[in-house]
Amino acid sequence: MKYVIVGNSAAAVGCITGIRKVDKESPITVISYETSCYSKPMIADVLVDIPQEKLIYRDEKFFEENNVELILGQKAVKVNTDSKAVVLDSNELVPYDKLLISTGGKPFIPPIPGIEKRGVFTFTELASAFAFKNYLKEKGAEEVVVIGSGFIGLEVAYFLRELGIKVKVVELLNRVLGRAMDERGSEIVESLMREKGVEFIFGNTVEEVLGDKEVSSVRLKSGETIKADAVVVAIGVRPNTELAETAGMKINQGIVTSDRMETSVENIYAAGDCIECLDITDGKRKPIPLFPLAFEQGFVAGLNMAGKRMKYLGGIPLNSLKFLPVPVLNAGTVSPPDNSYEVIVNDQFDKRGYYRKAVIKDNRLVGFVAIGEIDRVGILTNLIRQKIDVSDFKERLVSLDFGLVDLPKWWREEKLKEDRTAYKDWRAV
Amino acid sequence: MSGKKRKLMKVYPIEENCISCRYCEVACTMVHSKSKDPVKAYKLENLLPRATVEVKGAVSLSLMCRHCKHPFCFDSCISGAIQVDEKGQVHLDEEKCVGCWNCVLVCPFGAAHPYIREEKRHSFKCDLCGDRGFPACVEACPNKALVYDYER
Repeated sequence: MKYVIVGNSAAAVGCITGIRKVDKESPITVISYETSCYSKPMIADVLVDIPQEKLIYRDEKFFEENNVELILGQKAVKVNTDSKAVVLDSNELVPYDKLLISTGGKPFIPPIPGIEKRGVFTFTELASAFAFKNYLKEKGAEEVVVIGSGFIGLEVAYFLRELGIKVKVVELLNRVLGRAMDERGSEIVESLMREKGVEFIFGNTVEEVLGDKEVSSVRLKSGETIKADAVVVAIGVRPNTELAETAGMKINQGIVTSDRMETSVENIYAAGDCIECLDITDGKRKPIPLFPLAFEQGFVAGLNMAGKRMKYLGGIPLNSLKFLPVPVLNAGTVSPPDNSYEVIVNDQFDKRGYYRKAVIKDNRLVGFVAIGEIDRVGILTNLIRQKIDVSDFKERLVSLDFGLVDLPKWWREEKLKEDRTAYKDWRAV
Repeated sequence: MSGKKRKLMKVYPIEENCISCRYCEVACTMVHSKSKDPVKAYKLENLLPRATVEVKGAVSLSLMCRHCKHPFCFDSCISGAIQVDEKGQVHLDEEKCVGCWNCVLVCPFGAAHPYIREEKRHSFKCDLCGDRGFPACVEACPNKALVYDYER
């Protein structure tokens, strides 16, 4: 058996971990055009000079110990499904018996005139983070415009303030984290960002990037022109399906997979930001480009590739803003789309520095927000995952001392006494 | 995954025996301190227990890392600070941890905790008292509400 993995981030490492649970011997080959296995969610930390070794997610020892051959700095350009081989940009062929495509996401770049100018950056790769940092230094940048107020946009803006650079965040919606956070949460995050000196321009968008070859300013939809020594585009990532397309597999918004992470082409699996994932909070399949989900999908793919049949539990959208002094976590549906949801709030942010919110539908927790005090909220994430009936203790969901004693006794028997904590044990009840 | 039992010893709580005395919390904080003094550990070293005593009416129990057969914290860890050894024990390297709180967000037991004091930010959890060979909480428990046993 010969396993090949294209990509070298969370899903790839998850896949190696999964394969090695079952098959300790067969060779694994990892192909990546990048040169190290670094932590994707940590690249913005480059701006505040995180030590290089901290960026490494898995070092060479990990790959050696797991008998993994690394082909780095070379790009997989095609999958030849007839001869079962991956074609590299050097024309070299890498044969496979089972292949994982974990090619990740690519930043969405809107078709704005001038966006190709020097000085416009995205933030999904370590190389681009370093290029941005160097550009700021080279230009002695004083002012930066960030397009988009999602997690990456906010993080970059925050770190730029640490460097003493003026930052304006331009956001189409009327609040930060509009797609991920509820209104109160957005308000709190915005106030923390403003305290740091970040400026926001809401309900507006960049219509043109101005400057000769290099960006010097941007023109907004409102007509105003603002100075920009550099621009960061952070309005989301899309599944990178370029390689998958060469294999002729089924692709919707992302690569389509079965519950066992199989694609529509035999012997090829897919995991991570390049796929469409089942969102267990609404039952819909969509790209959910998040590190923990990518790892877990990769892990499940690895088990199945090695012959252990296992179904993916499904994904929950979840986020943590790791750069703020105040921890901000959320999971699932945080803004109810209609009045069939019940919302329980414990907002003590102004007096005691914390905010908790739970969103319930049909007696099941479907989402929560925790700001300031976050200890033990993973219990809530699991209530979402296992779809446990919370009707007997729903008022307690937003209390800081909510714990396992609030859960049904049968759950504690099963998880604590019987120790049913294997992957399959976490399915909905 | 093979269905075979792992040779891992863990701490199992028995809620029927728990009297919510919190000796486990005190013992935990003490043995993880520099001073090895329960009061100094809490007051001067700002340490927090890795075991959590929960109380609701007549029910109470002490809860710490379950070293899950499938640890979601390991999946979610972006820094590589969380690793699983060959026995199945889950380790959290507090120096390597960058405080992203993903493990806090996904632990079904609420057993990975955030440590947030000024510049020091990292997660922490039960390490089964690896340094001393036997979990201090189990030793401290006066009513056998915590037992150290092979994985079930």
